[in-house]
Amino acid sequence: MTLSKRLSMTCVAAVLAATLAYADSPSQATDAKAYDAHKLAAVTVGLSTKAQVRTLLGTPWRILQFNDCGKAMPGQADETWEYRGKDANGTYRFHVEFDDNGVAHLVARIPDKVAGGAGTVAKASAMVMAHNHPM
Amino acid sequence: MARIRLSLLAIQLSFLAAGALAGADRAAAQGAMLPYPPYGSNIPIVVDTERQSGAYYQDQQPEPRPGPWDQESIWNMRVEGYTDNQARPIYQPLIINQNGREILYAGNLAGSALNPLTNVVESNGTSIIDVTDVKRPKFLSHIPGPAPINGSFSAAGAQMVRVCGGSTLPNAATNGTVGRYYLLRAFGNAGPNESHQIWDVTDPASPKFVLTVLSGLSNTHKSWWECDTGIAYLVAGSKSDGWQQSGSTQHLYIYDLSNPYKPVFIRQFGLVGQQPSANVATAQPCATAPSANCYEGTTNPPAGIHGPISMGTQVDRVYMPYGVGAQGVVQIDDRIKLLNGCNTSGPGGNPNASASCANNPTQGDLLWPQISWITMNPENGAHSSMPVFNVPVPEEQSNFVNGQPQSKSLLFISSEGTANNCFGQAPHDAWVLDITSETTPWPMETMSVSQYPGDFCGKGARFGAHAVTEAIYAPYYGKIISVSWFNAGVRVWDIRDPKNVKPIAYYIQAPTANTAASCSTINGATNCYNATMNDYVEYDDRGYIYAADRAGTGVTILSLTGEAHRAVYGTEE
Repeated sequence: MTLSKRLSMTCVAAVLAATLAYADSPSQATDAKAYDAHKLAAVTVGLSTKAQVRTLLGTPWRILQFNDCGKAMPGQADETWEYRGKDANGTYRFHVEFDDNGVAHLVARIPDKVAGGAGTVAKASAMVMAHNHPM
Repeated sequence: MARIRLSLLAIQLSFLAAGALAGADRAAAQGAMLPYPPYGSNIPIVVDTERQSGAYYQDQQPEPRPGPWDQESIWNMRVEGYTDNQARPIYQPLIINQNGREILYAGNLAGSALNPLTNVVESNGTSIIDVTDVKRPKFLSHIPGPAPINGSFSAAGAQMVRVCGGSTLPNAATNGTVGRYYLLRAFGNAGPNESHQIWDVTDPASPKFVLTVLSGLSNTHKSWWECDTGIAYLVAGSKSDGWQQSGSTQHLYIYDLSNPYKPVFIRQFGLVGQQPSANVATAQPCATAPSANCYEGTTNPPAGIHGPISMGTQVDRVYMPYGVGAQGVVQIDDRIKLLNGCNTSGPGGNPNASASCANNPTQGDLLWPQISWITMNPENGAHSSMPVFNVPVPEEQSNFVNGQPQSKSLLFISSEGTANNCFGQAPHDAWVLDITSETTPWPMETMSVSQYPGDFCGKGARFGAHAVTEAIYAPYYGKIISVSWFNAGVRVWDIRDPKNVKPIAYYIQAPTANTAASCSTINGATNCYNATMNDYVEYDDRGYIYAADRAGTGVTILSLTGEAHRAVYGTEE
């Protein structure tokens, strides 16, 4: 197989992959909500509890934790709540990590703009600090 | 010249043999489970397809630089299909041929998400997806995991899955399991009352709960179920069982699940120093101060087991990795002595077995099945292990040692990188152990992925090895091995020359809007990154390769192309 043919096949595969990824991801932009910016800002690192966040923003779009042995890995949260939001800049996820006591210890607002490789810089909210991706 | 012609003829015949094996597996794909562990006890025969110059003959292109961090990168692989898994983060995928239907079982990490099939937000459990047509996966059902406790999902999830066909289990007619399929799954990963469950998944769209095998656990992890014998090696631990482990508090509970409706307990097992009777306060390392009260490895008590692999009745060995990401020990055990070692007679029986061997063994009870153990550098653990037997060494097929063709039996070991952005951790790699002499396992090669040029420590999430593929697909056996490498994706190595393994393919999934951000605080600065994390890579019985994402980005179904395809089949397609 020639190099040019190999490259072209790689490109085709990449396009196909991107198409497939979005064809089978139904629960993205469609369920994004326009959250009140004041409510988002009210989620406070070190203070807000799960109950308070739920009262402010409702049921999370997704809850997850990355641990698989019962204990949080170093520097990783016990539990993350995500809300899918949208505003004039597009869709985003409002990301809240809770500690073992159920208190928010990290809050970030992360844009969804990743389609077609257009970029996926995760900007932390002002409550945490600005994102500074090294690449 | 005649010699070269003969060599070429041998190579051609070898590829024909590989093709025949592939054909056999395709035939099996029409309905029967494959005859290899854990479904049967056959071991594929690895045919030498290389010239005597081995890896030095293989004219491969160098590994290409990965693309930008927000784009897919792919080398010698092709994306065939995709499922978003309802945006649930996956730990372990398993693909089972159920009467000709290819069913993907995905064990999910803890959390919750909407199940559009029920329109209910469900605690992450087991996803069941029909991947018969890889281009159009169909989500069939989701068995929820444990509910949150006091509002927290930290003990939830159902991340481990095993499936046996009821017709493959022993005494199928007597036990009424003919034609049925059974799912063994962990229910919760850590908490006050975790368990291992069995479900009837004969109709994968409508799973039915059968029973709880073992409950009251504080830890579960990756189990193994021999379908042709029914023996199950459950990874678990409870605060009341008295066993002692550092880090992950789990050891083995071994059961006979040949009748899924009537589990029979056999014994608990672990590393020397983990038994309830060990005096941790005074124990010394067995390596330097062997005594009746010592511990194997570098930490006291030894670190917990992650997940054993039994190679079934033909090989009669069980490979046990301890330590996950640190303080690792790799142990090789005699399977018959492990299963029967608490009996004082019969095959594998131990005449000196203690009366309390099954639950509260003595050091001697634990040593009885142990063939060997090797201690790792403590900054790495043994997360997973996968043996590959009798891989020919191309350079040593003649005029070497005794003039006979030489081969090596290999045990692939991976550690687990657990820190985002590599912060505070040494690199976590994978290794090839030479277990040709199983009493003296010895490292032969390191399988590493450099953080550059991909800047994997800078792109966010975890970087490092995680798990070695456990499925046996005969055409791949002894030719390639795959290891999940978190944000560096699926990594495939060419192992045709076992002393000179080489990277031959990779796939790094692009983040999507479903990719959960990984955040880390380094030197006081907190940043979040959208990065996929390939958690496990597995094969089905058609040779498709499944890359499951820990960050909620679904499962990507891949095939080999280019030189990776050639390494397996002899042609580029």
